[in-house]
Amino acid sequence: MSIFISFILAILSSMLIDNVVLSRFYGICPFLGVSKKVKSSLGMGIAVVFVIVIATVICWPLYTYVLVPAGIAFMDTVAYILVIASLVQLVGLFIKKKSPALYESLGIYLPLITTNCAVLGVAQSNTDQGLTFLNALANGVGTSIGFLLIIVTFSCVRTRLESANTPKAFKGLPIALITAAIMAIAFMGLQGLFSGIKL
Amino acid sequence: MSSVGYLILAIAILVILLATFIISFVAYRRTPLPKGCEHLKMDDQKCSSCGHSECSFYKGEEKE
Amino acid sequence: MSREKGYTKKNFLKGLIAENPLFVSILGTCPALATTKSIEAALGMGLLFTVVLICSNILVSLLRKLISEEIRTPAYIVIIATFVTMVKMMTNAFLPELYSTLGVFISLIVVNCIVLGRAEAYASKNNVFDSLIDALGMGIGYTVALLIMAFFREVLGSGMITFGTIFTFIPKFSIPILKCVKDGVVIYDYSIQMFQNPAGAFIVFGLILAVIAFVKNRKAELKAYQEKQEKLKKAEAARLAAAAKANETSGGDK
Repeated sequence: MSIFISFILAILSSMLIDNVVLSRFYGICPFLGVSKKVKSSLGMGIAVVFVIVIATVICWPLYTYVLVPAGIAFMDTVAYILVIASLVQLVGLFIKKKSPALYESLGIYLPLITTNCAVLGVAQSNTDQGLTFLNALANGVGTSIGFLLIIVTFSCVRTRLESANTPKAFKGLPIALITAAIMAIAFMGLQGLFSGIKL
Repeated sequence: MSSVGYLILAIAILVILLATFIISFVAYRRTPLPKGCEHLKMDDQKCSSCGHSECSFYKGEEKE
Repeated sequence: MSREKGYTKKNFLKGLIAENPLFVSILGTCPALATTKSIEAALGMGLLFTVVLICSNILVSLLRKLISEEIRTPAYIVIIATFVTMVKMMTNAFLPELYSTLGVFISLIVVNCIVLGRAEAYASKNNVFDSLIDALGMGIGYTVALLIMAFFREVLGSGMITFGTIFTFIPKFSIPILKCVKDGVVIYDYSIQMFQNPAGAFIVFGLILAVIAFVKNRKAELKAYQEKQEKLKKAEAARLAAAAKANETSGGDK
């Protein structure tokens, strides 16, 4: 039971306290680029959750049971990017063949995920920090759900910003970045959320 | 297993990964789009998440 | 290939200003926000990035006739990942402080859109020399952009510019600007802590983009105004000429 609780806490902490976009700065490109409409940000977010979780499940054992015993742990980045890129292509292929409906909502965002630093960043930091498999999985799930949460929230704010009367020089990206800063300040308030909980 | 065996296994796995990537990439490019999805585009008409038209993935989407 | 005069210079300068990867194309934003806490870290990131970009551009340009159109992207990703691994190992060996400061962001150069974008858009179509110049321009442009951001963040956030913490081969010293510490005693401190935090990174980046948009808008508006004035002048002159002509003819009638 204690393992389960710590698993949930690890998910929550990598989702809220160490939020992927606002405090670790992974995946800023899609965060700024695909967040103009709520629908597209939802599609991108779900696709990212999907790929990050599967990539974590593959990359951690690959590193621990194959690369480290063979003594080529330095090849980790190459291995991870290969795993992620082929994963994205395979998922895209599967969706194209089997589910046109899913392709309609996720298909165009899939190829962009290969160059999303959140995916590689999570895989890399999992092994760099020497996490256990369960913690790595929690980190993957938490990070990706945190990304989904933040990109959808941000797109909601941005649709409102479109109709707001902003100064001309701030139209578009600058005001979006200032908004992100305010969100980051809000998320800073969550630090120490679990400091009172003892395990 | 000896360390040399592990090394060979690891390199084999890396090569397999590379092969998977290339094969799946080519297959993905060649698979036709499902019906009704031929004219899907990014909402912004321009993929701004990966910069302007330089991203190859975007160009690929446009061509299809 | 026929080339106009001064192409090399133009090719180099475009990465610095007209097509600056960070401030104009808004590419590579993740490291730009994450590694600009201090000027030294930004400089280190910019240098590593430039090295990877130059190497990958040269190799892609050399291999451009061998790699078939179909497997271009996978081949480029593998080339870039290999160079990133090499750079990472070098940093770990020779500049361990830089390695631990940048952390995972060295690996993330692999998925930096600028490197892949330059390989696809430029190096795969041009010769080695041009690709090298392009990579140099883009790399230096990106480094300068990172340094500008880091300058504001370090000065506002910590109050002073410190050297020697990451590049340990130079002696450690700091230039007091908003905060002055002498012999461990804080004399004055007007720094704003927030600029060292993630929120500060977003604010600095947003404000810089706003300033750039402001300058661009002003230029465009000034140009539009001048064009309008010229058109008005022309119309006025034409009207006057027509009036004079009409006057002449009518005067002739009388």
